[in-house]
Amino acid sequence: MRFSLKKNKILIVIILVILLIISLNFFQRGVKNFFYLISEPIQKWLWREGIRVSNFFEGILEIKNLKIENEQLKLKNQELLTENTELEELKKENEALREALNFGLEKEFELKICEIIGKEISQDSLFVNKGSRDGIEKDSPVITQQKTLVGKIEKVYENFSEIKLLTAKENSFSVKVFEKDIFGLARGKGNLKLILDLIPQEKEIVTGDKVFTSAEGGVFPKNLLVGEIIKVKKSDIEPFQEIEIEPAINIKDLESLFIITNFKK
Amino acid sequence: MIKKVILSALLFYFLTLLETSFLIHFSLYFSNLILILIILINLLENRKENFGLICAFFGGFFSDIFSDTPPNFIGFHVLTYILISVFIKYLFKKHVQFF
Repeated sequence: MRFSLKKNKILIVIILVILLIISLNFFQRGVKNFFYLISEPIQKWLWREGIRVSNFFEGILEIKNLKIENEQLKLKNQELLTENTELEELKKENEALREALNFGLEKEFELKICEIIGKEISQDSLFVNKGSRDGIEKDSPVITQQKTLVGKIEKVYENFSEIKLLTAKENSFSVKVFEKDIFGLARGKGNLKLILDLIPQEKEIVTGDKVFTSAEGGVFPKNLLVGEIIKVKKSDIEPFQEIEIEPAINIKDLESLFIITNFKK
Repeated sequence: MIKKVILSALLFYFLTLLETSFLIHFSLYFSNLILILIILINLLENRKENFGLICAFFGGFFSDIFSDTPPNFIGFHVLTYILISVFIKYLFKKHVQFF
């Protein structure tokens, strides 16, 4: 049997491809880091333009709902005006308290600002432009400037990092329902969905309740906004309620994030 | 040949960046543009050409680089897309007759 180079060309190419893939896995971090480093300026620009263009088109698609929305907003506006007067007084009180407590995000945590450069299509994870070179460590919590929880650092490369969003399937952390002293476990369901688990049937939770992180479990710092309850389902045969949380973050509007670098579990 | 390699590498590099950083913002976007393009190229190209296979390699390679599915492994998308290309070529060779 003679070996024909021409006939076996495809076989040789396939073997070479397999060898190339195997060898790339040995330098995986370096290879990925290299591509992210050279692509960062383009990705940053694409991410910003993506937000701008999608907002424009979503605006056009929603024109038919604008009239109804406008009427609802007028009513809401009247309600808010009344509320505003009360809040003005509270604001003054709050400002005085803040000064007294010396409260501020940068004072509470040590933060590193980073910019989003990409999102994985099928997973709840984001890529940001800060890595081990900037002192980022695995499992560091990530928040927005409004003190809203985004997720935690999953992988750190030299020049960039991967954030697993709070809604990722792997994520579960303790939370509390605002002003109700009810503690539970928030579980990521993937696809930007989050549920509240381990809440007994007798606890009174309604849609619209705000959910914050709690210190138990030590996954995230306490008092970070997680989201709002959007669905509560009670059942006599189940020990716990089925509760759905709408995460407070909206990936489409995010550009800059803050990584907490001094959080110790 | 080298021209084809460079062309497909550049095409799929920018397409991956477009998909992961730009198209992700559109709520109506839910498909895999890279896979669709690879299938189309393989369906439409001449049976004796191998541009579809080159595209499958680069499409898969950049998908592996800019994603982490499955975690810590480069090659999943490369192998999947190459297998899809080979399968399309095999189907055409065995069962599709052009007049």
